[in-house]
Amino acid sequence: MLQNIAIGQYVPGHSFLHRADPRSKLLFIILFATLVFLANNTVTYAVLVAFTLYAGLLSRLSLGYILKSLKPVWILIVFTIILHIFLTKGGAVYFQWGWFTVEERGIQQAIFISLRLGLLVVISSLLTLTTSPIDLTEGLERLLGPFGRIGVPVHEIALMMSIAIRFIPTLMEETDKIIKAQTARGANFTSGSLVKRAQSLIPIAIPLFVSAFRRAEDLALAMEARGYRGGVGRTRLHKLAFSWRDAGIAAAGVLLAITIGWWRA
Amino acid sequence: MQITFDQVSHIYGKGTPFERVALHDISFTIPSGSFVGIIGQTGSGKSTLIQHLNGLLLPSAGTITLGDTVITSKQRLPHEQRRNIGLVFQYPEHQLFEETVAKDVAFGPSNFDLPEAMVEARVKEALEIVGLDYEKVKDRSPFHLSGGQMRRVALAGVLAMQPKVLVLDEPTAGLDPMGRQSILEAIYRIHQEQKLTTLLVTHSMEEAARYADYMLVLAQGTIALQGKPDEIFMQAERLRELALDVPETVAFVSRLNQLLPDKESLPNSVYREEELIAHLLERLSVPKEG
Ligand SMILES: Nc1ncnc2c1ncn2[C@@H]1O[C@H](COP(=O)(O)OP(=O)(O)O)[C@@H](O)[C@H]1O
Ligand SMILES: [Mg+2]
Repeated sequence: MLQNIAIGQYVPGHSFLHRADPRSKLLFIILFATLVFLANNTVTYAVLVAFTLYAGLLSRLSLGYILKSLKPVWILIVFTIILHIFLTKGGAVYFQWGWFTVEERGIQQAIFISLRLGLLVVISSLLTLTTSPIDLTEGLERLLGPFGRIGVPVHEIALMMSIAIRFIPTLMEETDKIIKAQTARGANFTSGSLVKRAQSLIPIAIPLFVSAFRRAEDLALAMEARGYRGGVGRTRLHKLAFSWRDAGIAAAGVLLAITIGWWRA
Repeated sequence: MQITFDQVSHIYGKGTPFERVALHDISFTIPSGSFVGIIGQTGSGKSTLIQHLNGLLLPSAGTITLGDTVITSKQRLPHEQRRNIGLVFQYPEHQLFEETVAKDVAFGPSNFDLPEAMVEARVKEALEIVGLDYEKVKDRSPFHLSGGQMRRVALAGVLAMQPKVLVLDEPTAGLDPMGRQSILEAIYRIHQEQKLTTLLVTHSMEEAARYADYMLVLAQGTIALQGKPDEIFMQAERLRELALDVPETVAFVSRLNQLLPDKESLPNSVYREEELIAHLLERLSVPKEG
């Protein structure tokens, strides 16, 4: 029942996108987000949509599965569409009923703004779908490395993030198991008054906390036993390295930026 | 309670890239009162199978019949029926949560609206079945007990619901040999006394041989073998293919039979340790002749 939540939704694979360096993917997303906000006419949006579809192909995941990432935001998208259709005025009038009109600019803005939202969500899910959380935090750590010089504990933050991400699936599995075990003992989480239902969470929360603390203790002990002392002087097992793929991504970024810059109104 | 699985399949994460067929076309019938050993490698689908028994998982296809109740992909198990099926998960001590042992054991029966006096009687009885002294442990925190004691408390928590079917997922995992033996003996005793239908998931052939009167051998989500233990143990070759071993007693008998002339060979039905010892002693005690 809990598998449906998409956190750490990484799908292992060997596609172009999977094998590209997380740093270039992260930098590209920042660029892409900027370009999405710069796009302002049919041509530029068409270019961005076409590019996103192509990136989807490069991930070798099914399009349907990628588009599922839109599920959490579809209400927002629908809301945006309705708002723009009703409230944005200008251009030809397509429909009139008393004071109520649907006008050209309203339709246009509805399409553009919802596309903007959709593109941002899809492209960032392409990142999380093709990059393991560990790679992702490592990429972040390296990109933020320079801030370490001004006293930001970059390594510690990155470590905390990777541990948290690493344990999300474990804790979800654990939660699933505990819910099942208490259900088997007749617990009922879905009926009764609000107070009753809140109370019924206790048999889940307590074992979950106990197990989280047990895991944290075990982990701390295991790390210490293996000589972990913080970030200073640590070497890496897997060194991130740029390859021709990252050159490709950089080239695509430059090309995309020029295209959008040229054609935007 | 008779339990029937008819062509049951279960698929995890249907429609995602993580889709995984955990059970495929499982069919068997367990008569009421049996003690069934479910055996198989890690990942063979044992835990998935038993979670179907009280409707925690619904089959993706096929039908499960528990007594008169039918479970299919669309038909859930009614809440009141749950108490008839006592499911003890792997490492059940990880689900303890109450302040005191007595309160924790009472959680199950209280969920089925039993009168308080009755709940207390059941708690007492259940703790005693698993070999804990009610007066001594009832007010202690379950988190301050030893691992083995916690396991017993968790088991008592399920027994206190007085189920008709008892399902145990590797109840001895992580215990020392003494602890294993005594927990299994307690389970076997209550199985006999209360005429339960019991399903024991294990990956120890010895445990299965000792208690089971029927066995299901799972491999990669299908039933590789099923039958009475002696029928299963006869297929030593097949078991080895499945990376399982026959119990030591069976291996011993077959080695002995290779040495003995045909007409003196031991029957395959002697595989329980005590029976084997008794059998051998009887053979060895040469009748005194004048
Ligand atoms: N909640 C789940 N989600 C997805 N796959 C699962 C889940 N639980 C088990 N599986 C998979 O189903 C298969 C059978 O697992 P399980 O029933 O736990 O086997 P066993 O208890 O025999 O070790 C395994 O391959 C496992 O990875
Ligand atoms: Mg298991």
